[in-house]
Amino acid sequence: MSGDEPEFIQPPNTLKNKVKYGPDGVDLDMLEKAEQIIANLQGNYLEWVQDDLTKLQGFYDKALATPEGERAKVFKDLFGVAHDVKGQGGSFGYHLMTAIGNQLCRFLEGTQKTGAAELDVVKVHLDAMRLVIGQRMEGDGGKMGENLLRGLQAVVAKVAPK
Amino acid sequence: MSGFDGRDVKVLVIEDNQHARLLIRTVLQTLGVTTIREAKDGEDGLEVLKEFQADLVIADWKMEPMDGLVFVERIRRGADSPNPYLPIIMVTGYSEARLVIEARDAGVNEFLAKPISAKALVGRIVSVLDKPRAFVRCEGYFGPDRRRRQLPFSGGERRKPSLGEG
Repeated sequence: MSGDEPEFIQPPNTLKNKVKYGPDGVDLDMLEKAEQIIANLQGNYLEWVQDDLTKLQGFYDKALATPEGERAKVFKDLFGVAHDVKGQGGSFGYHLMTAIGNQLCRFLEGTQKTGAAELDVVKVHLDAMRLVIGQRMEGDGGKMGENLLRGLQAVVAKVAPK
Repeated sequence: MSGFDGRDVKVLVIEDNQHARLLIRTVLQTLGVTTIREAKDGEDGLEVLKEFQADLVIADWKMEPMDGLVFVERIRRGADSPNPYLPIIMVTGYSEARLVIEARDAGVNEFLAKPISAKALVGRIVSVLDKPRAFVRCEGYFGPDRRRRQLPFSGGERRKPSLGEG
């Protein structure tokens, strides 16, 4: 055999030595308490998300004012904010924001173009996010949320490369 | 006993989004963790670790200037690493399989997709505690064993000892 055999090492589990917990791990009451504390942050989320919406609008306006061939950096910035929206909505009960943010991210990732049609897609997603927050459409938004997502998917399907 | 007492645990949270940091801190505090330090990117995290002996790191992936993946590589394989065995949970909005594999290959212990829920984060912490993974050192890799489960193989032996040597 060569000397390239993998070496297996059992590192000291210092973390486990410092934690005290029962055989069932974390009890349900504790988890519920954590979930409740996060739910109580929902009011804060509704304020924070306005910053993201303002940023999205700002980058959208900037893209409009930028010649088409030079918009790649602005599209990257748009992706960054959409990614934040995707990553946060669900934590605070706004799963529809996560779904819309995810769809916008997938579109921005996949598109090679940065023209007027692509900007229209960004705009309808931004408007949809505003609607969700404005109407306080928590969770998946029910039937209205379903229709909203379906409408956005139809817009993307028209513009996205086949 | 029931419950979870993490009062002696030191945790470093590396996340560029202040709201996500607050969310993670809130969950940790519910678990009794009081010693929590925060950093805004990987470089900042490495600086904090110079004087803060964390027992656990919870790190985001997408950060600038140093992202979470580079941070993990520096911890696992860097000459100046404060602790190459430091448990690291990577939190990110990127949940595509190929990116999960990339994070695993960098040496992440556990992977948690955003949006974060208290239940999911606690689940990953318990997983680090209950299922500590052996570390592997081999050519091109040092980090937690990337095989999740050791499953028995019922088929016949088809490997040839002469191949793969040298």
